[in-house]
Amino acid sequence: MIGDGLRAALAAANDCAPGCSPKDAIWQAGKLTLYRYRPIAPSKGGAPLLIVYALVNRPYMMDLQEDRSLIRGLLSEGVDVYLIDWGYPDGADRFTTLADYIDDYLGACVNRILAAHRLDALNILGVCQGGVFSLCFSALYPERVRNLITMVTPVDFHTPGDLLSKWVRKIEVASFVGEGNVSGDLLNQVFLSLMPFRLTQQKYVDLMSQSPDRARIENFMRVEHWIFDSPDQAGAAFREFLLWFYQENRLALGRLELAGRTVDLRALRLPILNLIGKLDHLVPPEASAALERLVGSADYTALQFELGHIGMYISARAQREVPKAIAGWLAAR
Amino acid sequence: MIDDPWRQWQSLFANSLGAMASAQTRSAREATSAFGPFVDAAERYAAAVRSFVAGAAGTAASGAATPGVTPEPSATAASHAAKLFSDFLREQFADVQMPWSAGINPAVGAPRAPSAREPALGATREQQLRLQRMANAWLRIDEAQRRLQRHWSDALREAATAFATRMKPPPALSAEEMRKFYNAWIDCAEDAYARTARTEAYCTALAELVNASSEWRRELQADIEHWAKLLDLPTRGEINTLLRRLKSVEEQLRDAKGEHQPHAAAPLTVSPVAAAKGAAAPSAVAPGAAARQRRDPAPRARPVKRVRRKSKS
Repeated sequence: MIGDGLRAALAAANDCAPGCSPKDAIWQAGKLTLYRYRPIAPSKGGAPLLIVYALVNRPYMMDLQEDRSLIRGLLSEGVDVYLIDWGYPDGADRFTTLADYIDDYLGACVNRILAAHRLDALNILGVCQGGVFSLCFSALYPERVRNLITMVTPVDFHTPGDLLSKWVRKIEVASFVGEGNVSGDLLNQVFLSLMPFRLTQQKYVDLMSQSPDRARIENFMRVEHWIFDSPDQAGAAFREFLLWFYQENRLALGRLELAGRTVDLRALRLPILNLIGKLDHLVPPEASAALERLVGSADYTALQFELGHIGMYISARAQREVPKAIAGWLAAR
Repeated sequence: MIDDPWRQWQSLFANSLGAMASAQTRSAREATSAFGPFVDAAERYAAAVRSFVAGAAGTAASGAATPGVTPEPSATAASHAAKLFSDFLREQFADVQMPWSAGINPAVGAPRAPSAREPALGATREQQLRLQRMANAWLRIDEAQRRLQRHWSDALREAATAFATRMKPPPALSAEEMRKFYNAWIDCAEDAYARTARTEAYCTALAELVNASSEWRRELQADIEHWAKLLDLPTRGEINTLLRRLKSVEEQLRDAKGEHQPHAAAPLTVSPVAAAKGAAAPSAVAPGAAARQRRDPAPRARPVKRVRRKSKS
């Protein structure tokens, strides 16, 4: 029977561990770990690439399994890849601010990589919220970033299609966050409620309707694990992110200040590659595409893919197209 | 192998729900309580599809076999069958638990909450006021949940109407056709929900729910804090004070080290253990220090041709 086979396959896939590419933890501070991936192809000789992932969800989505790994794709192209894992904040991290994350932690990671390679600047790939952090850091320290790549990154938080933003506008953020952290489980519920019928019903019916192919089931379970493996959010940083970005749209309006300095996107004159998911329901394409009119760069490239938010990391199409696009773009600069 | 498509559908649901429970590491008991209704719903879904197809096909056949019968009654009957089916789906999804009803249990604070209109007097005046505020917040939560539930119901009604409009009975019923009906329903439901969820009224109700819940939690925390102090237990407020002091000291320490310049960091090591033990705190710049260390932006001198590719599929 289909059901028995499927049940057994799902149970067997319960412990499928995400992540496939060997890496070394080279620096730790607080909950943060900076990783460097081991090369699998001859280096192209360019500056290293630092991947800055979001605080929401875990970064192993970038290296889920061998045939679903953006990082592996980049390594295959000879890119020297570093990754920031922000870890799981707990109650002791509740007062960690955006300035701490961007100016201190991200800055320290950049410094360490630059020192190790004796370089003045490196390449950054910012993903989703990590893309926002990367934009802020690059605007504050443009001399330390050679090329900037943003992926499914919101820039204008007030576009008409942004449902999440609409929901957040009238929330009393300070009261909602209080002085504690924000539960990752709660955030998951919010994300699911953006498309409740597909994400809580149809997805599972689809899973059960197909053959219990082991590879497919394992892939599904790894993604499932990733979706619900959501770290709590450090309260202070989350409060600032909701208030400054979602409610006040400061980044797009040029009114964002971090660590006492204005984040001026017009100061970004470095080459920028903006990767956009045309079917992204979390970060609408227009929210990302707004970057073009806000930056001062003369070398701006936008690539739109017929993919959703998660599909940009793990779909078969993304594996074929995204790493090559990034590596090719970097090689040309 | 099950040949009957309805049995296939039922089996599929029953097995999927058990597996879902396993995947979400819930106990069997929880799985039964959480997913049991869905198994039942799957059986009813199969029956509803069969009823719709049989009703629509039977009406069409009788219409074709009877001379002088116009297509309109047949179409009307098919439409009626479709409406019954779509109404069934609407009812089935009406009880799906949404985030606004998950994890919030205002009833916890409700039993001992006094009326908000009672005067607060005497030595416990502050506690009485706090309980009144909790009661008020609870009422707001309840009201917001009801409003959201109405929006949910409206969205389902809209979805049911759209679904009934586009439904056509298949030439032969199969498990695949049942899946198509199901997918079409999901499409209609998501479309209707997306429209509802973007309305001002929905956003307002959702915000009210969150804001009232926040207020209720804050008052509850204050109440617990009050009792903890009476028992000389450490409170969240005290711990937060200590955390703030610690953070301030750490920032001053990092600022004094002045590690935020390029190349100031220690060389990288590939040894995770060594890195963990030898790692200094991240090179930090306190707000004031960041401003002091500001550098002028260094625009790249290399003018590069602007590249635009609007879309790449």
